[in-house]
Amino acid sequence: MNLKTWIKTITFYELLAGMKATMSHLLHYRPITLQYPHEKRTLPDNYRGMLALLRYDDGTEKCVGCDLCEAACPSRVIRVVSAEVPGEPTKRYSKEYYMDMTRCLFCGMCVDACPVDALGMTREFEWAVYDKRQLHLNKQQLLAIGDRSFPVREEQLEFQHPNVAFFNVAFKHLPQKPS
Amino acid sequence: MTELSLRLAVSLAQIAAVMGIVMLTVMILTLAERKVLGWMQDRMGPMEVGPYGILQPIADGLKLFFKEDIVPAGANKAMFTLAPLLAMVPAMIGFAVIPFGPSVTLDAFGITIKPFVISDINIGILYILAFASIGAYGIILGGWSSNSKYSLLGGLRSAAQVISYELNVGLAIVGVLLLAGSLSLVTITEAQAGGFWHWFIWGARPDGFFPIHTQIFAFVVFVISAVAETNRVPFDLPEAESELVAGFFTEYSGMRFAFFFIAEYANMVLVSCVAASLFLGGWNAPYPGTILGYVGLERLAWVENVAWFTFKVYLFLFLFFWLRATLPRLRYDQLMRFGWKVMLPIALANIVVTAITAYFFPRG
Ligand code: SF4
Ligand code: SF4
Repeated sequence: MNLKTWIKTITFYELLAGMKATMSHLLHYRPITLQYPHEKRTLPDNYRGMLALLRYDDGTEKCVGCDLCEAACPSRVIRVVSAEVPGEPTKRYSKEYYMDMTRCLFCGMCVDACPVDALGMTREFEWAVYDKRQLHLNKQQLLAIGDRSFPVREEQLEFQHPNVAFFNVAFKHLPQKPS
Repeated sequence: MTELSLRLAVSLAQIAAVMGIVMLTVMILTLAERKVLGWMQDRMGPMEVGPYGILQPIADGLKLFFKEDIVPAGANKAMFTLAPLLAMVPAMIGFAVIPFGPSVTLDAFGITIKPFVISDINIGILYILAFASIGAYGIILGGWSSNSKYSLLGGLRSAAQVISYELNVGLAIVGVLLLAGSLSLVTITEAQAGGFWHWFIWGARPDGFFPIHTQIFAFVVFVISAVAETNRVPFDLPEAESELVAGFFTEYSGMRFAFFFIAEYANMVLVSCVAASLFLGGWNAPYPGTILGYVGLERLAWVENVAWFTFKVYLFLFLFFWLRATLPRLRYDQLMRFGWKVMLPIALANIVVTAITAYFFPRG
């Protein structure tokens, strides 16, 4: 042990350096936390929140009942009951569509898998409930989430409304973030 | 007979006042600790209850008061109940000999009252040390009687830690006792009157300025050992959250938990008071006399003295928080090695050096 380290040891140099660091944080106090329920941070555009079923501009459901999302989901969240559209034997739709959101890990694979972009991820995240059966959502509820998160249905609307967080829009079209 | 009952009434009033102040300080501390820690870590600390969270201690107190009181199965009930009391009472009882202000006396109703110290006994510091070791029993018993391995480990660690570090506390103050020639905190404080160079941390002789009797090493040893004795970070092995859940009070809840909690904070206040009295001149201002005394308000000089005492105590309490915000916990072997192989020799050497200097350069 040379003299310098010895002096550093007996004067608690490292401790004092650490204490200086904490003290400087106290003196230049600038909190980085938010008072969450009162203040909310702005979520990024590609935030993966609550899942929703989407509609076309004319109000018809996009989902064609192909079951690909059910196959893609790693946690078996989705259950699709597919059926023919009554009177139109060439078209199919999902007669029933269930999501057990207690198991969802918000990976976005279902959104990627959907061939007709019928699924979207919204920016909703405050889905704490007292009864977890309320997290077992049916088609009506998922469509309602979609309606409330994507109220304006126009072409490329995902770039106009702040709530829009499509996952399966072509990434190359994403505008640059204003820096 | 009336004189006796009058004395009793005065003493009880003093005790009530001191207890009230200590409890208030503990409440402030619980909030201040969380706030200071938060600020040092770029957080805000409690913000919900009251403006800027200042009513948080009241909310915490109410919560603890109304919580369910659980005694774990297989616990030794008597000991389990006794342990929190055994921890809290010694922490509180030590304040009886702390001089909070100048040793003036009041003559009222035919008896003499010392308003700023409950009882000026001539073995004051010994009394505090004795009761502090009883407080360790509360922790050990609490750990043992809970019938839980985490509590037991916490209690055992606490036993080893308290034994090692209480020795250092005791030895660190010997130098001060040699210089002051008394065990009474009142006398020790009075011996440091007249400016900061007479405080024992600097240690000039009463007629000089040169720090011939300096106790700075004893002071460092005392502060470190006091942190260890109050089980605070970085010596919080008895309650190490990350390894032992909560150490000796893992199984405690409700009011019993609150007792341990109060005991911890009251102990912090107590060692801060002792450190301020022994090394930093207690209620003495860092300049000779008092400003209020110079401007002709001798009767109000005690306000300034009490303010200085409070300031010093809070300085120490802030140091506790500061250390907690900065340092990680020591490992067990590091703790023991540091206590026995570093602190103890320093304290012993300090005694020898102080004794020699005090012999050749006697005070007054
Ligand atoms: S986000 Fe992932 S886990 Fe959730 S439903 Fe879609 S595929 Fe399943
Ligand atoms: S949501 Fe998409 S992937 Fe799933 S069934 Fe409907 S169309 Fe197919």
